[in-house]
Amino acid sequence: MEQPVLADHPGLVTRRRTRPRLGKALAPYLLSLPAGLWLLVLFLIPLVVMLSLSLQTCNSASGACVMTWHWGEFGQQLSLYHTQFITSIYFAGAATIIDLIVSFPIAYWIAFHGGNKKNFFLLMLLVPFFVSFVIRTVVWEFILSDQGIILGSLKNAHLLPQNFHVLATGYAVVAGLAYNYLPFTALPLYVAIERIDKRVLDAAYDLYASKRQAFLRVILPLTIPGLFAAFLLTFVPALGDYINQQILGGTSNTMIGTVIQNAFLVNLDYAGGSALSAVLLAVALVGIFAYARLLGSRTIEEYI
Amino acid sequence: MEEQHGTDPGGQRPGLDPAIRRGLTQPRFSRRQLLRSAGAGAGALSIGGFLAACGVKGATTASSGSTPAGGVGTAAWWAKQKLHHKVNFANWPYYIDVLKGKHPSLEHFTQQTGIQVTYTEPINDNPPFYAKIRPSLQAKQYTGYDIIVTTNNSPPLGYLIDFGWLIPLDRSMMTNFNKYAGPLIKNPSWDPGNKYTMAWQSGWTAIGYNSSMIQNPGTSVGILFDKKYSGKIGMMSDPQELGSLGLLAIGVDPASSTESEWAKAAKKLQTQKSDGLVRAYYDQSYIDHLKNGDILVSMAWSGDIFQADLNSKYKALKLLIPQEGGMFWTDNMCIPMYAQNPKDAMTLMDFYFDPQVQAVVEYYNDYVCPVPDAQNVLRHPTGWAKTALDAMRPEIGLAPSVTADAQTVFPDEQYIKDSKNYYQYKSQEELTAWNNLFLPITQGS
Repeated sequence: MEQPVLADHPGLVTRRRTRPRLGKALAPYLLSLPAGLWLLVLFLIPLVVMLSLSLQTCNSASGACVMTWHWGEFGQQLSLYHTQFITSIYFAGAATIIDLIVSFPIAYWIAFHGGNKKNFFLLMLLVPFFVSFVIRTVVWEFILSDQGIILGSLKNAHLLPQNFHVLATGYAVVAGLAYNYLPFTALPLYVAIERIDKRVLDAAYDLYASKRQAFLRVILPLTIPGLFAAFLLTFVPALGDYINQQILGGTSNTMIGTVIQNAFLVNLDYAGGSALSAVLLAVALVGIFAYARLLGSRTIEEYI
Repeated sequence: MEEQHGTDPGGQRPGLDPAIRRGLTQPRFSRRQLLRSAGAGAGALSIGGFLAACGVKGATTASSGSTPAGGVGTAAWWAKQKLHHKVNFANWPYYIDVLKGKHPSLEHFTQQTGIQVTYTEPINDNPPFYAKIRPSLQAKQYTGYDIIVTTNNSPPLGYLIDFGWLIPLDRSMMTNFNKYAGPLIKNPSWDPGNKYTMAWQSGWTAIGYNSSMIQNPGTSVGILFDKKYSGKIGMMSDPQELGSLGLLAIGVDPASSTESEWAKAAKKLQTQKSDGLVRAYYDQSYIDHLKNGDILVSMAWSGDIFQADLNSKYKALKLLIPQEGGMFWTDNMCIPMYAQNPKDAMTLMDFYFDPQVQAVVEYYNDYVCPVPDAQNVLRHPTGWAKTALDAMRPEIGLAPSVTADAQTVFPDEQYIKDSKNYYQYKSQEELTAWNNLFLPITQGS
């Protein structure tokens, strides 16, 4: 590495403090203390408890758990519920892709054509989500019911066969997931697109890029970190979601979140539920790292 | 802006503007560094190895049989208890008479006894509520409730009794109960001699159907397995409810069933599902789907159908107690251990066996009344009951005599004979076996 050449104050670099004062040395750690405590108390401790519980043997009546290093729990739970894992990955993945496709134009339009009303448009995007998650989903259940305002009218007009239904299908679950997680996709994408220097686009046009080329070779590469953040924020929560499946789903599209919820609340089977949660966590992590590798994204933390 | 120019402290670029240079040459830390050091700090702490230490403490000492230690619940213990003029009552939502946001029967109770009632509705399901109060009971502490209401068809009631976590009732304070309690809930199989519990309300899990679409429902649970209604059939997701119905469908009385019969019932239900007959496995929400026509026929709770029927819009909903029998369940009031106001709790529990009080509750609830004499009060109300019923009438919209005449509130001999009891699990293994058979059906893929 060659020394930086600083024309106006050449001495500055060499005068860099070699022994920083204690306070300054500690500053990063002190400043990160709240975040560190937060991570410790609300993430790491629960995580360790969960991993520990998954290896214990629990009595669902008394709630007593004994550490037995029972690794068999994982195999047993997976053999019972691997299909629900696959369903979850499939549904969450489909919902995420739909969200990316839907929210990219929205984010792009607000960022490039929103003018001085950008904040207003962003607010409009978010307003529906001020209502509780569960209530919104229940309202969809009401709107989409077999004899409801949409399907009922279409059926009365003989535009749909009588036995047609949307609820209780996998499509309804994916649509519900896509709807509920849309802001988690749209906002990181907006941040990424907003950051693009508009002059870069002008430069592309100056160099005779077509609109398509400018988008594919300039805009898209610059939004990849945003795409990645959007993917993370959508896919990971959707993977463990159980509300959409329970309200909009039917008999053959159970997601793993429902199974985990039942394990904890109906069966009081803490070991089984913990094992399933641990597997879910592992699946999510593997997915994330594979995806990061694929996109070569190293600047994730700038966006989330 | 920083990102676009690159502020990597090691990055060297000629001709930077002074602001950037200042950033480069003075010791600063970026957000990224901050995140990293936060991670390192948390990581260092976590290595401490909680692994074996973390877990859930259990009731290791509580399992001392069904009599609580220290003579709690004996006649001598009860004699020492005093009224504190307050009681905390935990119940299920929409399960007591309501008038303009108040509960007439509870107000009447306070007037009569001077005991203030804190009435809350924290119970939505048995196992989660049990899991919520269990840590307090294990720590030998007050759960915050003097009266809780648990269902006989769900395992937690048995757990509470087995671990000695219920206070045996004061025999001397059950005057109304001894005089008025009906045969269905007196000395029941789940609590012989009413040692720990007194019924709040009962009901049937039977079949609800839309009579405008189904003219000939028949008399059997077979309607839930009828291909004619394919995709329009609702089943319950609760493993106890689902399994019991499966047993009825193969002609077995759930109360005396065996494990091999459970497997047969599970197979029948699995076929029902794989044939595409079942729309979905529902919790309480089945009633909404029945109302809006998503399903035509469903497993249903008697009170729900009766209440829906009160609305002219849902007149078509009918209840069918099948010839195989309706599953009869009871929600029971009981006093959890370490309750602070047991004597006030006893007073309240017995108070609700007064036919006058029960008539008012039933006018709103429409579940099976634990006090048969309340029927006469509903027909010919007098005194306080008359005032309360008259005040509630505009909101309920129907005469009290309609409730009095309802078979599902005051069942006759035949209804009682057709009632079936749930299986009582004899061990944890049995419960696990049951759940492993029926849970995979509701949460299959």
